Parts: sequence; structure tokens; C-alpha cells
Amino acid sequence: MTRVLITGIGVISAIGKNTAENRIQLQKGQTGIGKATLIDSRYVDVFPFGEVPYSTESLMEMAGIAGEKGITRTDILATVALQEALASAGMSPEEISAMDTAFISASTVGGMSMTDELYRDGNKIGLPSDYLSSYICGAHTLKLANRYQMKGLSTTFNTACSSSTNSIMFGAKLIKSGRAKRAIVGGSDGLAKFTINGFNALRILSPKPCMPFDKDRSGLTLGEGAAFLILESEELVGNKKVYGEVTGYGNTNDAFHPSSISDDAIGIIGSISKAIETAQLQPSQIDYINAHGTGTENNDISEMFGLNNVFGAIPPYQSTKSYTGHTLAAAGGIEAVFGLLAMENSELYPSLNCINPIEGYDASPISAYQSAYEIKHLLSNSFGFGGNCSSLILSKA
Amino acid sequence: MYIIDMSCISAQDTYNNAIFEEGVKVQTEAQYWAVEPKYKKMIPLNLLRRMSKSVRMGVGTGIPLIDQFKDSLDGIIIGSANGSIKKSVSFLNQIVEYNEGTLTPTDFIQSTSNSIAGTLALMGKITGYNNTHVNNGIAFESAILDALLLFEEKSAKRLLLGGVEEISQANYNVDSLRGMFKDVVVDSTQLLDSNTPGSVSGEGAALFVVDAEPSEAAVAQIIDVAQIVHPTSAEVLAKAKLFLERNKLTTDDIDALFLGYNGNSETDHYYNELQENLFPTQAVYVYKNLVADYYTVSSFAVWLAANLFLGKKMPSEVIKKAPTKPTERILIYNHYEGTQHGFILMSRP
Repeated sequence: MTRVLITGIGVISAIGKNTAENRIQLQKGQTGIGKATLIDSRYVDVFPFGEVPYSTESLMEMAGIAGEKGITRTDILATVALQEALASAGMSPEEISAMDTAFISASTVGGMSMTDELYRDGNKIGLPSDYLSSYICGAHTLKLANRYQMKGLSTTFNTACSSSTNSIMFGAKLIKSGRAKRAIVGGSDGLAKFTINGFNALRILSPKPCMPFDKDRSGLTLGEGAAFLILESEELVGNKKVYGEVTGYGNTNDAFHPSSISDDAIGIIGSISKAIETAQLQPSQIDYINAHGTGTENNDISEMFGLNNVFGAIPPYQSTKSYTGHTLAAAGGIEAVFGLLAMENSELYPSLNCINPIEGYDASPISAYQSAYEIKHLLSNSFGFGGNCSSLILSKA
Repeated sequence: MYIIDMSCISAQDTYNNAIFEEGVKVQTEAQYWAVEPKYKKMIPLNLLRRMSKSVRMGVGTGIPLIDQFKDSLDGIIIGSANGSIKKSVSFLNQIVEYNEGTLTPTDFIQSTSNSIAGTLALMGKITGYNNTHVNNGIAFESAILDALLLFEEKSAKRLLLGGVEEISQANYNVDSLRGMFKDVVVDSTQLLDSNTPGSVSGEGAALFVVDAEPSEAAVAQIIDVAQIVHPTSAEVLAKAKLFLERNKLTTDDIDALFLGYNGNSETDHYYNELQENLFPTQAVYVYKNLVADYYTVSSFAVWLAANLFLGKKMPSEVIKKAPTKPTERILIYNHYEGTQHGFILMSRP
């Protein structure tokens, strides 16, 4: 079976509008979480956010689509990340449009980031807005497929916070099965009143920037962003730059509760174990873990239990959500890109805001930047509401 | 892969298969509402009260199947473009109307599309593979592809697979603002010949237990699935031919078409062109005059086709062109708004 190599990456998050900017902030241990200035919500004075510090209009200008109608925050973040990924892989328009190039994206909030517009259109108040075809989760995928004339297999996932990890997994599987030669995979979510109010209603938003794996953590910080990866079948790659290889993946359901993970972490242990098994590795061969690490009471304790169960001695781990906030459907893609950066540059980025690690485990997240740390295999975790758990293994090619 | 059991909630009496004895219900509204079963026997009341309609329909079709097969189900894959859109918009309405005041989280938790597959996993304690495709008009086709991949790579032997969609007033409003529906509603007996723009809006759930391997229990085979986005008519024909070739078949090997005619004078031509150019002699069945149009309506077409293989007498309303020979292979062709087109190839097991 063919190997699936990663030949392009693109990312936008609270710590930068491209890969290079994101890496600099990670190296410096500099968070993007702070007071949101763009989103219109009363909660900007109550909670910090991982907001991308550019208006939708300025991002549209950056992406060369200024003035286009019906573009939501989710759309534009996806467009910016996609453009970088396509450029970094040097994909030609013919390759992008090829029938054997798949396009797999993910979103949870989709165009519902346009809360007030959907309120008016949905209740038939006033004149129709420009967003009638933009609200649904899959709308951003269709629009991008149309813009870039993508003709191949396409789908969109919504498995809540594990969505774009499933995109990467599905793209890799399409290539391994021979149904595609290349796959553009990732996801996008814009910061939205919808999700801010949803997580606030659940009382899991932290009044301070999130503190993943700290024993006094007080909830998650919502963020926004997008990331795409270009996957290619080994025989197409030639002497292109390769960022890594997708070697393992696991997808399970915790089957415990609609919005929390079980104490015995059935789903988490299952997805990690399945990913390691698919990669034909032993747990001891994993050199670095980009954890889900949302900073909620429930996630972090269950994830620690699961990691301890699978690994015993847990390899260096961290949550980059302490930089970007929780970017929901984009998280898996963004964190895969961060993992690839760490692997390519043989470096580890500090996990922020963990002062007193969760007790009972002989492990604490990476506390300082480290260079010359070789990563051959890394694990990236994403878990979501509905019990959805997904894990990826990315390896040095 | 092989369908060994199935369940369907739709605007017709499909839940208990009464449609095949009692006939088709004529629809007179612009929305073809699902005929829902009595859930109380299947779902604890405290859970039922909190469920969105799509979760309820997914559970109503899924739980009887899970009860029977839960020890052998390796996972759940659902296609649902809109998920619990009514709960989403009701939560959104509260955000605006209470100016982001203190809200209850139930509607938010239920709002994402994956709450259907998540609830089924939770109720059946199915901890295996679990995924939700939301890719608009080919969300169910994508879910089939997902299942095919799992079977090919031998990571599953038996799966619960389905398509679920609900109507909400807000979504109906948004879609009607963009011209999706007919200005003047005709009843379902006239829908497909209405020759006016737009269609009617539907909802439903069709779930299938599918196996990787054939067995005595198999009622129908799903051989393969294909999709194309933003094509010309010529590209649709080319795709259909390629799809059959990929499966080592020719157009002559197809005995019947299930076509997604929805009475929209602007987009029904795709069906005419495929039928006239590639399948001029084959039988033709239709289904949207029974259940209207929705993103995952091809799951209803699969349910109907599987029933044909089971030997159920097709209602006269679905027969557009009667068969002249026994049906061994069926091609389902459905598109949404003319933008996303899906093919599903089925066979007698």
C-alpha cells in the first residue's frame, strides 16, 4: 500500500496568518489569547479569546477576493489557509482540478458564525442577506471547490472538536485505497456568538486564558482559525519537500455522555491505541504528543488517564490550545501543522499556563522551548462532543 | 457491501412498511412532514424530551437495528447536512432575543450534526468507528464511501449507516428566500410534471445495517458510489460511464434507474439527459413525489431500491417507466440543486 506524504501546509490562527508566523510565536512561547476586539459579543469583557487579529474584510483583501459577497468568517479563514497550503505544495491548477485530487474539509459552526444575519433570514425579517447559501456547515467546502475548480471526491465532516482530524484520516485512507492520488485536507471555524454562548451555557469557558493540564484549570478558551494539509501518494512526490507522513489514525466513540468524556477514557484509549496500531508502532516509539488539552476539568483529567494508560511513561506532551484557544473543527488540522513544524525543526514548544500539573501522574507538560529534539513519530489527539475521539500518528518521512 | 436490515422514517408510512400494502399518501403542503412512530416504547421519556427531531428520527430508526445487532456493530456512519438545524436556530434565536443572556445548553449540545451518531453510540454502547458527513447534497453518498473504505481495509465487518435530515422553519425560510421552493404549491401527484421552478421540502431518516461480506441475510448489495460537483450535463454522462467501467459494467448491465426528479423545471433536465442518452430502454423509478427533496434523500432511494430487491411491490406512483425484465442491478442518480451529483450502484445480493 502506498505511503501518504505531506507536501504542503497552511495555517491561520490567533498566533499568525501563515505557518512562519505561527512557528515564531510557538518558539517564543507567545500566546495569541487575549481580549477580542473584532467579534461583537458582550462576552469579550468576560472571557479572553483566541481571535485572529484581522477583520474579515482585511483577510479577504489578503486572499485576493475583496468585495466578494456572502463570505463568512469560516469561509475566509479556510481560504487563507488553503491558499498557503496549495502554494507550499506547489500544486498546479491542473493538479487541484484533477479527478484524483480529493478535497476534505470540516466545520462545526460553518456560516452560523453570521449569527445576526441568520437570525434575520431565518425569521424572514427585512431584506434577504448575502449569506443565504453560506450558513450550512458544508457551504465553505462547496464554495472553495467552486473557486478552485476542484472536481474530485469531496466531503465535509462535523464531528464537533475532532472534525479536521477526521479530514486528515479520511484523505489518507482515500489515497491508500487508490481512490485518490492527492488529498487537500483540513478544516475551519470562525469565532461566533453561537459557539461563545453555547460554551458559556455549558459553563466551561475560562475567565482566564486556558490552563491545559494545570490542576487549577478553569475551562477552555475559544479560538478560531483554519488549517489545510496537502497529502500525496508517495509516487507523485519526487523531489518535493516533504513535511512528514501520515502513518496512523484511530477513530472511536466514548459512548458515555453527550458533552463529556468518561473517567475511564474508553474512547481516548481506543483512538490512541488504534492509531499506534495502524502505524505499526509501539507506544514507546512516540516522541511527542500534541494533546487535545482543552483546559476543561473533564477533558484534561480524562486525557491524562488515557495517556497514562497507553504510555505508562508519557512522552513530552503539551497543548497548543494555550496559544490559539480551542479552534473547534480547525483544531485537529492546526495542531497537525504545529506537530509537523516541531518534527521538521527538531524542536519542542512550551505548553503555557500549566503552573501546578494535574496530580497523581509522574508527568508534566513541556515547560520550555527545546531545540535539537528529534521527533520520529508524533501523536495528535482530538476529542469532541458526542463522544467522538480521533487520533493521528505523523512520522518523519 | 451488503444491506442485511434497514429502517426508514419518511413522509410515507415506511416505518412499518405499510406503504407497500396501503399505498402512497398524497402530500398537499410545501413541506412533506415525516410520519413519526411512537417513540415512547424505544426511548426513555427524559431523553426523548430533549432530543431534536433529527436525533429522534435517527434513534427511532437506529435503536431497533442496534437492539438486534449491537454486539456485532463495528461503528456508525451518518450523513446529515443540516443536523439538528431547528435546535441550532432556536439556540441562535435565544442568543439574539435575550441579548446573549443566560441560556440553557441543551439545544447547543444537540445542535451539531454528530449528535445523531453520538446519541446512537451512547444508547447502544457502540465504542467503535463513529463519523458524520455534512457535505450537503452528497452527505449520504460520502457516508457510503466511508463505509466502503472501512470494509476494504478490513477495519470493520458490520456497520450502521444512514442518512437523516429534518425540516425547520428557519431553514425553510432561508431556502425559500433563495428560490428553492415552488411559489405555487401543487400536490404530490402533480409535482414531477409541474414544469415550474423550485421543488418542495422533505425530511426523514433511513438507516441500514451493512456487512462487508455476503450472507443469507443480505437483501441488497451496494456495489459502489461516486460523486461529481458543478458538472455540465456532458460531464455527468461521462462520470456515469466511468463509474460503470470502474465496476466492470456497461450501461446494458443496468436494469433500472432510480432518478431524483423533484419537479424543478430548471434542474430536472440532468435526469432526462442521463436516461435518454445512456439508459433509453431501462426501467425508471422516482421517489421525490413521495418524500420531497432533502440533502440526504438518496438514503430513501436506497431503502426503496432494497425493498424492490426484497420483492416488495413498488407503488404505481414510483414507476415512471415499468420494467420489462427482472431487475438485477439498479443505478441511483440524485443531484441537489444541480450542483452536487451522486451515483449509487446497487445489485441483487
